[in-house]
Amino acid sequence: MENRSLIQRLIARPEFGPFVLLIIEITVFWGFNHDFLSPQNISNTLAFTVELGLIALAMTLLMTSGEFDLSVGSLFGFSPVLMWTLFNSGVTSLEVGFLVALLVAALIGLVNGWFVTQLKIPSFLVTLGMLLVVRGTALFVTDGFPQRTWSAEGSWLAEALVGDFFIGPFRIYMSLFWFIAAAIALGYVLTQSRTGNWIQAAGGNPNAARARGVNVSGVKIGLFILSSVMASLAGVISSLRTSAANPNSGTGYELEVIAMVVIGGTALTGGRGTIIGTVLGILILRVMRNGIVLIGVPGLAYNIFIGAIILGMMALHSWLERRHQAGT
Amino acid sequence: MAEPLIRMQNIRKSYGRVQALEDASFHVNEREIVGLLGDNGAGKSTLIKVLSGAVPLTSGDIFIRGKKVNLRSTSDAIAHGIETIYQDSALVTQLSIARNLFLGREPIKPPRFLNRMDQDAMNNVARDLLKQVGISKNIPPTTPIGSLSGGERQAVAIARAMHFDSDLIILDEPTNNLGVAETQGVLSFVRSARDSGHSCIFIAHNIHHVFQVVDRIVVMRRGKVVADDIDPKKTSVAEVEQIITGMSDKEIRDAIADGKPSH
Repeated sequence: MENRSLIQRLIARPEFGPFVLLIIEITVFWGFNHDFLSPQNISNTLAFTVELGLIALAMTLLMTSGEFDLSVGSLFGFSPVLMWTLFNSGVTSLEVGFLVALLVAALIGLVNGWFVTQLKIPSFLVTLGMLLVVRGTALFVTDGFPQRTWSAEGSWLAEALVGDFFIGPFRIYMSLFWFIAAAIALGYVLTQSRTGNWIQAAGGNPNAARARGVNVSGVKIGLFILSSVMASLAGVISSLRTSAANPNSGTGYELEVIAMVVIGGTALTGGRGTIIGTVLGILILRVMRNGIVLIGVPGLAYNIFIGAIILGMMALHSWLERRHQAGT
Repeated sequence: MAEPLIRMQNIRKSYGRVQALEDASFHVNEREIVGLLGDNGAGKSTLIKVLSGAVPLTSGDIFIRGKKVNLRSTSDAIAHGIETIYQDSALVTQLSIARNLFLGREPIKPPRFLNRMDQDAMNNVARDLLKQVGISKNIPPTTPIGSLSGGERQAVAIARAMHFDSDLIILDEPTNNLGVAETQGVLSFVRSARDSGHSCIFIAHNIHHVFQVVDRIVVMRRGKVVADDIDPKKTSVAEVEQIITGMSDKEIRDAIADGKPSH
């Protein structure tokens, strides 16, 4: 009996559906093409996966609190542009440029949070506006051209963020460890810490939370800042790894990241979120993108699959939710 | 006579030109359940909103144990020991019973900088409290509020108010939409709250529910308190209904003579 209820509880978890889907995906792609699980392919997939993943982790907390952030893709492009522009023009060192980029991102997050919590404007509109402002700034500053990035070699910042080494046949970038650390830290915050309880309450029933003395606005502003800073960090990591800083990079990432988060089981309406689910959601979408190319489906068909996955997972989550509410 | 727990004196509240409260005065003694009755628009809700910090008063004074207080927000009122329980609105349905009980006052495990909730302690306290308010079913404290019934949710909200030593628990329509058994459950939670030293204000449309549980009945009409010392043991439901509707003795006699049922 005890055993059976353990399995039942496992199945009832919101992460169970995404987990099964990921296993199916991997099995199917591997069945079609054994290269799918080759060390080289895994290394390649992981390199970019963790960069988008960093944004998705922060977005999970923000969405649990009942808000979301459409400006992350533009920050992903803007921050490296800012860092390299400062460095190339000789104003600052690369490290100081990096800190400035993070600080500016934090400020942008603060503005987002302030508009949403103090002016009570929906986060959809606020962050859509911010997306245009930030992307527009990146294009304006650079005249639309990529920035020179060739001088990062040997800088300790580049080593710490994207230094690479081999574990057996796997080529691993340092960014993987930053991702794992962020997943553990944010998972801990969400499930174990007092702040996590406040984040869930802020998204679930903000009035009840406020009545208990929870600083709902403070929580949300903090999460907007976290989201911006993580997007900025991810952009810088990606830029250092690929030696490119294009003002247009990151376009459309906001939707992909939000898709990763909801596929993992976090509620778009807030109140419930899971970091484990988001990690699964990140892998599901990135494995899908990589796998369909490997098995010969035209890359342009990618969005069909992504859309189908989102719809399917939403149907599953809503079914589980109704079962859950019915107390079975 | 000892100073009452709560004294509201000459409370006025107007919304624009509408006078919702006109010189209403009201008190609650220690360890007392007061039933607040009145027709729609009599001013009950406004009085309660003023007392729970949800709306500011236009003029008048509120005293807690003789000390004048200024209630600017609901969290202000909670800090002063006044807890208001509206059906369904006070809890986060996605969070567990234990996490709701301690929301905003979560115990932290050392070392404090890790900001880690002491979930074992929270669950233990929650388990004891659920027993104390008389939830007989074996509901684990980790159950999300969303899967509880309306009566059980009321019980959790009452348990929270009791645990954090609210002096006054205001229950606004706690028996609305509840079945017979659940209503009896909620009424017994209210009694156990009083027996453990808390005062309650009980508002319900169903006068019979009020009669079953309160020590004293207060009636409001058109923004004023028109009767504040009705003993439910010495008064009939019909008499209280007459006070609520505001018919004079003569009108009542006429109504009876006309053959109209008084109830």
